[in-house]
Amino acid sequence: MSHHTRALNDEEVLNEMKKMVAFINQEAIEKAREIKVKADEEFNIEKAKLVRQESNNIEATYQRKIKQAEIQKKITQSNVINKSRLKLLQARQQYLEEVFNETVSQLIKVPQDNVKYRDILKNLILQGLYQLMDEQVKVIVKKSDVDLANNAIQAASQNYKETTKRDIIVEIDKENNLPDDSAGGVILTSHFGRIRINNTLEERLVLAQEELLPEIRVLLFGHSPNRKHFH
Amino acid sequence: MAHQNSQGIQTLLEAEKEAAKIVQKARQYRVQRLKDARTEAAKEIEELKAQRNTDFQEFEAEHAGNSDQSFAKLNAETDAKLAAIQTAFDNNKNAVMEKLLAAVTTVEPKVHTNVKVPE
Repeated sequence: MSHHTRALNDEEVLNEMKKMVAFINQEAIEKAREIKVKADEEFNIEKAKLVRQESNNIEATYQRKIKQAEIQKKITQSNVINKSRLKLLQARQQYLEEVFNETVSQLIKVPQDNVKYRDILKNLILQGLYQLMDEQVKVIVKKSDVDLANNAIQAASQNYKETTKRDIIVEIDKENNLPDDSAGGVILTSHFGRIRINNTLEERLVLAQEELLPEIRVLLFGHSPNRKHFH
Repeated sequence: MAHQNSQGIQTLLEAEKEAAKIVQKARQYRVQRLKDARTEAAKEIEELKAQRNTDFQEFEAEHAGNSDQSFAKLNAETDAKLAAIQTAFDNNKNAVMEKLLAAVTTVEPKVHTNVKVPE
């Protein structure tokens, strides 16, 4: 019988058993360790991934919020500036109106200088005659101006005939008058009242206001600091 | 001999059982770790959010302060301009009225250029 093939005695069997058990145990421990190490790695990776994802989202959200806030700020700023501009424009407009209104009430004083006023009437009539170039013209005046007007009509007709070498009949309109609260001036009509020229003081003031508005603005408020183009 | 064998096998089977328990524990640890990753990530994320929020609120507070300032400044400027307009008006009103009245009362009658006047 060879040494190798001898059956093991009890002690040897026990030893072998212990060795095998230890081996099995050792394998398990190592496997467990591997699993744990891997688990820790995965823990780190997974946690970092989750945090990174969310933090990107958070960043994006706050960037958006910041941008919103800035846009809102710009809008508010723009509104405030607009309001300010409107305030200034309104103020200027009000002052313009005040000037015009006061001028209207000054108009009433014009006829107070009789001599000057008669001259004005004459020229107003003459201006109308030159525009109408008609043979028969009626003149509408205030009741209180009738006498002065007759005088003015004489002079105006004379001028007209001399300048144009044409004849003309100019009469005061007996049926129509300017209202008593009018400041003065004349309305001329011809062709049976179908053509009218309004040369009253009020009408002239309105026209003057329109024509002179740019100049008046500059006179009243100075040049606009923002204007870049001039013709 | 047969009895020894079966005892031996028993011991080995128990060793395997124990081994399996050890590995199972490790697996449970792994599962727990994955859960932990989620909860800890969530915690960190909350902290980040809170921090970002605080930063943002500081930012807003600073800007609100700024815009209050510029708002007040603009108001002051507007009031100054209004006062300037008032002054300009007071100074120039009469000149404008005179200009207008002059335009009304200065009449220059002119014959239309197309009118032919016989010699």
